[in-house]
Amino acid sequence: MSERKQAAVGSDEKAVNSQVPNSLYEVRKKLHVRSITGAFTNWRWILVWVTQIIFYGTPWLVWNDRQAVLLHLTERKFYIFGWVFWPQDVFYLAILLIIAAYGLFFFTAVAGRLWCGYACPQTVYTEIFMWIEEKIEGDHNKRRKLADAPMSGNKLAKRMAKFGAWGLLSLWTGFTFVAYFSPLDELLRSAASFAFGGWELFWILFYGAFTFIFAGFMREQVCKYMCPYARFQGVMFDPDTLVITYDEERGEPRGNRKKGVEPRSVGRGDCVDCGICVQVCPTGIDIRKGLQYECIGCAACIDACDDVMDRMSYPRGLIRYSTENAVKMHWGMKDILAHVARPRTLIYGGILVAICLALLFGLATRSDLRVDIIRDRASLGQELSDGSIENVFRLQVMNMVEQKRTISIDVAGLEGIRIEGQTTIEMPPAGAESINVQVRAPVSAAAPGSHPIMFTIAVEGDDSVVVEEKSTFIMPR
Amino acid sequence: MMKWIQVLWPSFLIAGIGAIIFFTVVDPQELYFMGEPVHFSLLATYSIGFISLWIICAASSLLTIFLQQGADELNKPQSN
Repeated sequence: MSERKQAAVGSDEKAVNSQVPNSLYEVRKKLHVRSITGAFTNWRWILVWVTQIIFYGTPWLVWNDRQAVLLHLTERKFYIFGWVFWPQDVFYLAILLIIAAYGLFFFTAVAGRLWCGYACPQTVYTEIFMWIEEKIEGDHNKRRKLADAPMSGNKLAKRMAKFGAWGLLSLWTGFTFVAYFSPLDELLRSAASFAFGGWELFWILFYGAFTFIFAGFMREQVCKYMCPYARFQGVMFDPDTLVITYDEERGEPRGNRKKGVEPRSVGRGDCVDCGICVQVCPTGIDIRKGLQYECIGCAACIDACDDVMDRMSYPRGLIRYSTENAVKMHWGMKDILAHVARPRTLIYGGILVAICLALLFGLATRSDLRVDIIRDRASLGQELSDGSIENVFRLQVMNMVEQKRTISIDVAGLEGIRIEGQTTIEMPPAGAESINVQVRAPVSAAAPGSHPIMFTIAVEGDDSVVVEEKSTFIMPR
Repeated sequence: MMKWIQVLWPSFLIAGIGAIIFFTVVDPQELYFMGEPVHFSLLATYSIGFISLWIICAASSLLTIFLQQGADELNKPQSN
C-alpha cells in the first residue's frame, strides 16, 4: 500500500516536473561569452572568411557579360556561370538538395556537428557580431558590467555604436542577399538614387533585420529552439562519431591547486575547475557534464582548456575531439581513424558519391535545345481546297544557350508530309519561342485515324544538336 | 519569446519551401486573382505569395500551440 502510494506520489511529481518546461519556458540568461584564441578558433575564422568572401563576392562576378550567379526571379531563369536553368530544370535543384542533405549526414556521422561549429551562417554571423561587440564594448567582464549598469551617456553611446555597426553589416548582408535574385547593376543604380523598388527594399530590410536579430540577440537560442537539424542530428551519431569530449577519468575529481603541483599527490584529477570552458561556450553549457544537444561542436572549450593545460604544464587534450568508444577503450588517434570507415559512414558516403555522379552526368548530358509539341485542339484535321489535310501544332522551343541560334524544323512519317510556311526560326539567346506550325499531307497518304509522325528540330551550323519529338497526325474520316 | 518562435519560425520554414515549390511549378503570370489576371510585378507576386503562405502556416502553428495547453492549464483557478 505504502509502496503504491509512493509510486503515485512519484508519478505526480514527475507530471508536475514535466509540465514545467511546457508552461514556463526557460527564461534566457543573456550570455556574455568570453572570447578565446586557439587552433579551432582559427579554423572557424578561416571558414568565416571563406564563406563570407564567397557570399558577399559572388554577386559581383561577371560571366558572358552578365552577372555570373543570378537566380533571376523575374525572368524565371537561374544563371550559374555558363549554365542557364529554367523552371523545367527543378530536378537539378532537388538533386542538389539531396546532395546537401547526404553531405550533412555524412559529416555528422564522421565528426559530429562540423557544420554547426564552423560553417553555419548562424555561427558565422554570431562570430562576426561578437567580434564587433568586443571591439566596441570590451571583453566579457566589461560587457556584463555595462549590461547591468543603469542607462548613462557612455552606455548609450556604446550601444548606439554597436547597433550602428551591426546595422550597417546587416544592411549590406540584406543587399547582397537580394543581389542573388535581382540583378546587381540595377540594384546599384537604384541604390545610387536611393529609389529601390518597393519589394526589393522590403527584402533587403527583411533579410537585414533577420541577420541583426539572429546574430545580435537570439544567437544560441536559434540553435537550441529553432534549428531542426540540432534536434535530429543525434540520430546520425554512433559511438564512433567524433565529438567534443571531456575526459572525465583524467579530469576528476576536479578542483583548484597551486601551479606545479602533481594532481594525484593532492588526490585531484587534471581539471583545475577554472570554469573557462563554460565562459567561452556560446551556448552556455558545461561540457564536463557530457555530450548535450545544445553543444554545437565549436570547440571553443577545447581551445580554452588547452590554454589552461599549457599554463599548468599538463598535457593538452583534457577536453578534445574524441569518440565515445575511444574514451572508453583508451584509443589513440590511429584507432579513431581506423573506425571512420564503418557501415554507416560507408553507406552515407556511397549514396553521396552516387548522387554527385548522377548530377554531373545529368549536367553533362543536358540538352541545350528543348522542344515541346502541343497539337492545336481546336482543329484536329482540316481538309483544304487542294485536297490535302492540315494539322496545326504549336512548338514550344527553348534555346538554353546564351547565343542566338537558327533552328530548322522538319517533319516525317507520312508519304508527302510537309510543313507549310517558314521552317527556319531565329531563336533569341537563352530564350523561348512559341511557333505555330501547319503540317500538311495528301489525303492519299494514310487511312482515316491518327498516325505517328516525327518532328526533327536541328540547329543550323551545329550538327551535334538534333531534337526529335514524336506526335500524331490526324486524318479525318 | 518561445511562443513567438513556435508560431513564426516553423511557419516561415514551411512557407519558404512551399513558395519555392509552388512558384517553380506555377508561372505567376498565369494566375488569376479575384477573377482578373494578376497584374503585379513578378517580384511582388512572389513576395505576396510567400507572405500569404507564411500567415496561413502561422495560423496553423498558433492553433497548434493553443490546443497544446494541458487540462491543468485550462482548469487552473483564476489568480487574482
